[in-house]
Amino acid sequence: MNAQIIGQMAVSGALMGLVYALIAYGFQLTFATSKSINFGQGELVMISAFFSLTLTNLGFPYWAMVPGGLLFGALMGLVVERAGVRLALEQKSEGWILLSIIIGLFFFSAAENIWGRDDRPFPTPISADPIHILGVDVTRLELSVAVGVFAIMGLIELFKRRTLLGKAFEAVSADRDAAELMGISSTRTVMLSYGLSGSVAALAGILVSPITTVGPTMASALILKAFSVAVVAGLDSGFGVVLVGMFLGALESLASFYLGSGWREAPGLILLILALALRPNGVFGKATIRKV
Amino acid sequence: MFRQTLCGLLLVAASGAQAADTVKIALTGPFSGGSAPMGTSARDGSKLAIAEINAAGGIQVGNKKMKIEIIERDDEAKNERGALIAQELAAMSDLSGVIGTVNTGVCLAGDKHLQEKGITKIICPAAGSASMTQWSKAGVKDNSIFRFAAYDGIQAAMVVEEAINRKFTKVAVVFDSTNYGVSGRDDMLEQIKKQGNKLTVVAQEKFNIGDKDMTAQLLRAKSAGAEAILIWAIGPELAAVSNGEAKIGMKAPLIGGWTLSMSNYIDNAGKNGNGTLMPQTFIEEAITPKAKSFIDGYHKAYKVDRIPSAVAAAQGYDALYILAAAVKQAGSTDTKKIKEALEDLKEPVKGVIATWSHPYTKWDPADVTSHEAFRREQVVMGMVKDGRVVFGNDADRARLIKSATSVTPAKTGKTKKK
Repeated sequence: MNAQIIGQMAVSGALMGLVYALIAYGFQLTFATSKSINFGQGELVMISAFFSLTLTNLGFPYWAMVPGGLLFGALMGLVVERAGVRLALEQKSEGWILLSIIIGLFFFSAAENIWGRDDRPFPTPISADPIHILGVDVTRLELSVAVGVFAIMGLIELFKRRTLLGKAFEAVSADRDAAELMGISSTRTVMLSYGLSGSVAALAGILVSPITTVGPTMASALILKAFSVAVVAGLDSGFGVVLVGMFLGALESLASFYLGSGWREAPGLILLILALALRPNGVFGKATIRKV
Repeated sequence: MFRQTLCGLLLVAASGAQAADTVKIALTGPFSGGSAPMGTSARDGSKLAIAEINAAGGIQVGNKKMKIEIIERDDEAKNERGALIAQELAAMSDLSGVIGTVNTGVCLAGDKHLQEKGITKIICPAAGSASMTQWSKAGVKDNSIFRFAAYDGIQAAMVVEEAINRKFTKVAVVFDSTNYGVSGRDDMLEQIKKQGNKLTVVAQEKFNIGDKDMTAQLLRAKSAGAEAILIWAIGPELAAVSNGEAKIGMKAPLIGGWTLSMSNYIDNAGKNGNGTLMPQTFIEEAITPKAKSFIDGYHKAYKVDRIPSAVAAAQGYDALYILAAAVKQAGSTDTKKIKEALEDLKEPVKGVIATWSHPYTKWDPADVTSHEAFRREQVVMGMVKDGRVVFGNDADRARLIKSATSVTPAKTGKTKKK
């Protein structure tokens, strides 16, 4: 088979994979501070996309809509933290698993009732016309995904390393109790992480919607892939999710080309099983010793 | 669910009191989800006709005028919901008829309950072949299920014909994995053979409902040299195919089932949808006074400037008038008598698509067209142009104007299907 097609499939797959990586990064943020993740993250992606669509329809320009959407995502992240996670964490229970799923279902019903069940186009000023680079067609829309993903991840990492608040974040991630003793409020830090995670989800929604359309079920496929990426890369792997996300995306689209579209998901699942068997902490994860 | 049952019970209870003075007609279909543009348009088209009839005092049944009472059910395009609704409707003793269903799978799941009880149903606008051929395969002697839609057999023939007329030789056949998509593929492949193998199928590609990324399928079609894509699927995925083509710089036009005129295809594909061709029974263009008043009426009643699915709306409208004519001729609200009247409609019915003269004949298990209203001549090629469906060929436009003003020839000598 000619190299051009392989290149095309790999590149468009990898660009989609960046969206998985971004959602997986949202898992990482909350996992770092609280060892909990939001199982309703997909619904956060979806509801923020709908909210941003509404902003656009109300006449907000793109540059104003994006921060609006991110803010909304952060708010929703805080809602999840307050309603689903905080109590469970205080009681040292695993109740956040179920609660975050339930809040996700609530978001889903809310979206169905407010915006309806139909898939809708998401207008964007970024052109969907292909650009020809080295024999591969890429749309500006797809490139915008890459730019957005790297920009927000870069910003958040900078924030964590360079600001006082960010250092508090890192401290709580490293050792919660020790950080508390140093006068850092772990509750606030967990809130911060859920807010950031919500914004990341919102950005994922805004970036992917012009390509996939917006609908209540838009994130159900994305979220499973993001889980795979998070698990394969490791929940504390930092930029590892980017590599795994791009790899998984490329693998998927090559599989659907060579094995037929029905087999699209298969390599990803095999990868997931292998990773769980061989590197349970993730390819880029650190081995942790758990005291029992 | 509970609420629906309760509504059903209330309706049954209420009908006891007023059974004598209304004609009860059920309108079903998907009013939400990916098939909703067709479902709501068909329903709203029928409702428009009902409003007109009721405003004129109702249908003349025997010696008195009776108004039409609507029973509305959303099957959400789900087979299991469709089956439940059909059971509910079948249990209503005073129901005169049912119009609706968009999805072939829903027909297959639900219609048997209506047929068992002999309740007259006009399928509109589900086009999949299987919803009528199931009755001929089962060899039923007496069938209360009719169809008012350009069935896939006609559509597939037109799609293949159009590809040949446009001088394409290599085509890709693309379809979704539902009953509708797979049977559409079979119909197209059969037609290619039947029309002299002038088209070479260089690729056969499949996708699932909900798929957004068609790059793999399209690249295979492109590398095999496909000049046109013959396609059978539903709105959102069709749009994903058009957008995918634009992405990889592929120019092969889509030619396929009438679902390519759904608003969720046209809107989601945007300018990438231009040039797409599909069979249509109605084009939203005021070519006749009747069409103009229908289009204006629809726009005004539902406050839109484009009908979500003009085909479904026009068919819903005409189907309702045909059913009303049968009620009038039967002189009764009894669904079995209405069925007999439908099989032998004496007076032509003036509809917005055509003037329907004897649309149905007595059910013949060997020939499903006895319960099919549409023939090739009532269907035209439509083309997407800047967010609207226009006539694909001007000759069709002229022909339609003519046929709408003259009476369609009565069915003589049965046109044998396959």
